[in-house]
Amino acid sequence: MSVGHYQRHPDLRLTALEGEGVVLHLKERRYFTVNETGLVLLEALKEPKSVAELVQALLSEYEVTEESARQTTEAFLAQCLEAAVVLERPA
Amino acid sequence: MTSVASLPQGLESNDAELAALVSAWLGGSRIPLPEGFRLVLEVTEEIPSIEDPRTAYSQSSVDIRAGAPLGWVHLQWRSLPAMARVEEDRPVAKVFLSRAAIADPELLFQTFLLLVLIFLWRRAGRFHLHAGTAVDPNGRGWLLAGPSESGKSTTIALLAARGWRVGTDDIAFLTGANGRAAVLGFHSPIALRPGGHQLLASHVGDGIALRRRNKTGFFAEDLRGGWLPSVEPDVVLFTELGSERTRLEPLPPAAIMRSLLQWSPWVLFEPTASQEHLDLLSRLGRQARCYRAQLAPDLFEAPRALLDFLP
Repeated sequence: MSVGHYQRHPDLRLTALEGEGVVLHLKERRYFTVNETGLVLLEALKEPKSVAELVQALLSEYEVTEESARQTTEAFLAQCLEAAVVLERPA
Repeated sequence: MTSVASLPQGLESNDAELAALVSAWLGGSRIPLPEGFRLVLEVTEEIPSIEDPRTAYSQSSVDIRAGAPLGWVHLQWRSLPAMARVEEDRPVAKVFLSRAAIADPELLFQTFLLLVLIFLWRRAGRFHLHAGTAVDPNGRGWLLAGPSESGKSTTIALLAARGWRVGTDDIAFLTGANGRAAVLGFHSPIALRPGGHQLLASHVGDGIALRRRNKTGFFAEDLRGGWLPSVEPDVVLFTELGSERTRLEPLPPAAIMRSLLQWSPWVLFEPTASQEHLDLLSRLGRQARCYRAQLAPDLFEAPRALLDFLP
């Protein structure tokens, strides 16, 4: 995972329903669901964030180890980058 | 372009007869016109042709383009010469209509102007939902969303004939009211196919012939229940036609949102008001018990049995 910053695609819209996140991708006119952790990360990614800042966002919400939060963050980011849901920004 | 004193504020046309018909249609819907509403109808044989690089989405013979890079919504009627431009952030539209396009006002309203209205209302915080609404004798609001021929209108007409109050059987607009999701009903006849009409016939008269749609219409107030301008749903049914007995199955959150998005799809279509629209769908999903409902002949014989499914 690079040391740059990340930001969610500007055409995403998010909402939550009973612990599930619903994400619309307006540009592609499709939607998908994410779990609660994914929703926390995507909400944090409204502004550009580094991996370290995203890990902190998870640590402030959940009682997990830093290592576990980092693994979750990196795995989620990798999926989102591949799907063009999150974009890499210059640091 | 003239503005006639008796027309609602914001409605203008260079054709007085068309203006009066559209005024009656809007007034008949009983949905109040929003602040800042402006609808200009120009009858002309020179329909503007606009280079629009956006991909068209087609519905009911209308090509619709929205979003970046132009922002405004571009509607082009493929069947007859007509186009409309709805401004990006305001409930303002200019519509260009040929004489051929206004020759059949019912077709014009149902096919083209209804879509213009859907995009105008989005800009006033009212989001189209393909659904029917009613309120049961205990005061609970019901919303039935589903495809054509899934039993929505028949169920709603039968419930109205048994004293339930009805908002709409088909054209609904989701909005916010006091922290809750509410649904405005477009006042129009509940439109029944021959089978549904037959089921209702023992309760009411002949109804209104809706020839173009091969249906018979009944206003809710002509049935026993009456009409309501707004319903706050406590129960949502996503309907499909069942073959034997009526069944209701509670839905998990992801399926609720998937179904709400299916019956309110403009949320995915353009950035304008999309977050507000999505938040309202989510609020509706939280405030109501949501079920997948297979509606079968046993319900049409005893529609009040719907109440027995609730805890």
